[in-house]
Amino acid sequence: MSLKLTVSQYIEYFYRASNIINQNKEYITQLDLKTGDGDHWINLNKGFSELLSKAKQWGDITFSEMMKNTGMILMSKVGGSSGVLYGSAYIEASKLDINDNYIDEIDILNILKTQLEAIMKRGKTKVGDKTMVDSLHQGIIEFEKKLNSKSNLVDAFNALSEGARRGMESTKDMKASKGRASYQNNKGLGELDPGAVTMYYQIDALAKTCKEAYKN
Amino acid sequence: MKKLINNPKNVVHEMLLGLSYSNSEIKYIQEYEVIARKNKKEKVGLVSGGGSGHEPAHAGYVGEGMLDAAVAGNVFASPSPDRIICGIEEADSGKGVLLIVKNYSGDIMNFELAMDLANDEGKNVEMVIVKDDVATQDDEDYKNTGRRGIAGTVFVHKVAGAEAERGSNIKEVKRVAQKAIDNVRTMGLRLTGCTIPEVGDTASVLSKNEIEIGMGIHGEPGVEKIKIQEAKKLVRILIDKIISDIDYENRKVAMMVNGMGGTPLMEMYIVCKEAKEYLDELEIRVEKIYVGNFMTSIEMSGCSISLLRLDDELENLLYQPCKALAFKEV
Repeated sequence: MSLKLTVSQYIEYFYRASNIINQNKEYITQLDLKTGDGDHWINLNKGFSELLSKAKQWGDITFSEMMKNTGMILMSKVGGSSGVLYGSAYIEASKLDINDNYIDEIDILNILKTQLEAIMKRGKTKVGDKTMVDSLHQGIIEFEKKLNSKSNLVDAFNALSEGARRGMESTKDMKASKGRASYQNNKGLGELDPGAVTMYYQIDALAKTCKEAYKN
Repeated sequence: MKKLINNPKNVVHEMLLGLSYSNSEIKYIQEYEVIARKNKKEKVGLVSGGGSGHEPAHAGYVGEGMLDAAVAGNVFASPSPDRIICGIEEADSGKGVLLIVKNYSGDIMNFELAMDLANDEGKNVEMVIVKDDVATQDDEDYKNTGRRGIAGTVFVHKVAGAEAERGSNIKEVKRVAQKAIDNVRTMGLRLTGCTIPEVGDTASVLSKNEIEIGMGIHGEPGVEKIKIQEAKKLVRILIDKIISDIDYENRKVAMMVNGMGGTPLMEMYIVCKEAKEYLDELEIRVEKIYVGNFMTSIEMSGCSISLLRLDDELENLLYQPCKALAFKEV
């Protein structure tokens, strides 16, 4: 049986992601102060709050419209580098040829892959640069592996989240070549990248949302 | 922190309001914090922008003979693509729009996305990237964003603006902009740091008798910290670094002595004197000199020197009339 996720179920994922980001204010800010300028949480939280308040007014919209709206809001409200990267990710995903009303696990995989490509292209970033890319990339790899081996879908969504967590943790031993941490002498070595952490939160929220929708 | 402001959160908006009151030829689009020319002319549009805190850049360069729109971000933070798109729309008369962007990863990402979105909608938008700061190097090993864009950007605005005003097509305007980029180099030093209104006081990075060579315009670390010395010696350090980067021998140049926002004009003119005399000694022909605050870092004290190599084309474009608030040429 395939996943059948509706637009409004997908939007649930934004609530879940926003909640977990909200709960980790101190942790994210402290982490960001070690390698950056300490505004990552403020910006991301601002973006998600705006997204949730706008999403309430959307009514009946297609997946593609929802993705485009999400991209535009995150782009302008998160701001700086993170905003444009999230914005690009959702705007590119809005161009995919997907069903207007519901998506399955293959669509989820394609959306994530498109988002990863968009972020890497826009940020001129590769895997191993100590960024949000590392979480997303590892999540996709482990998710795809499970899908290809025809594992049950709950396992596949667990693998998505687990992979993202592993990707996030791998940033601890990486040196930054992008963003402000790259100007530091030790290039952030020994610290998690805050962008990788918040990306993990989002993927974990997405995996949980998909699992719930699948089980019901 | 002691600043003549109201609320740190409102500095950009309130500054742009004040700027728009002081120039009747521009308008202020509040929602997107964009400054644009009131009278749209049928020509290639020019848009620049970036973080605030570099006044008069970039809004002060909007006007006949220079930019058509300037897009402001928060202090030292890139504006988002929706704002940039507003700037593009203001500047667009159907002949294409050229974006002049300084080389910082945030600026590049946001301007590129805005350009892609505008082009998706059928506009004709192109972009040039200014990278004139010889304190930083382009790194082919992909270890940083590459050479930064600083005060030399103003020369790019000027020559591209003059070319666009002539009615040239976007290819030509882009060509002269790129020519200016290829021929301008800048190096700076600072005596003090600067305070971002929303952040407030931070620990001073320089001790009492220390100055820093090659800092960035956001207070990023420089090449080295040294003891304060006579202006003459410091100017020579800056110029030596510039002329070792590209060949200036027997060339005509335009020179810009830029204050960083907190430098007395008296000191800027002393820097100008030392620079002119040293360039004379080196037989580099200084054709035109600009002294003032062109690309600042809030209240930082220090200076940068930019040298633009001139050929007849660039020289001619530089002398064309310009009515921008911060760059008058008659």
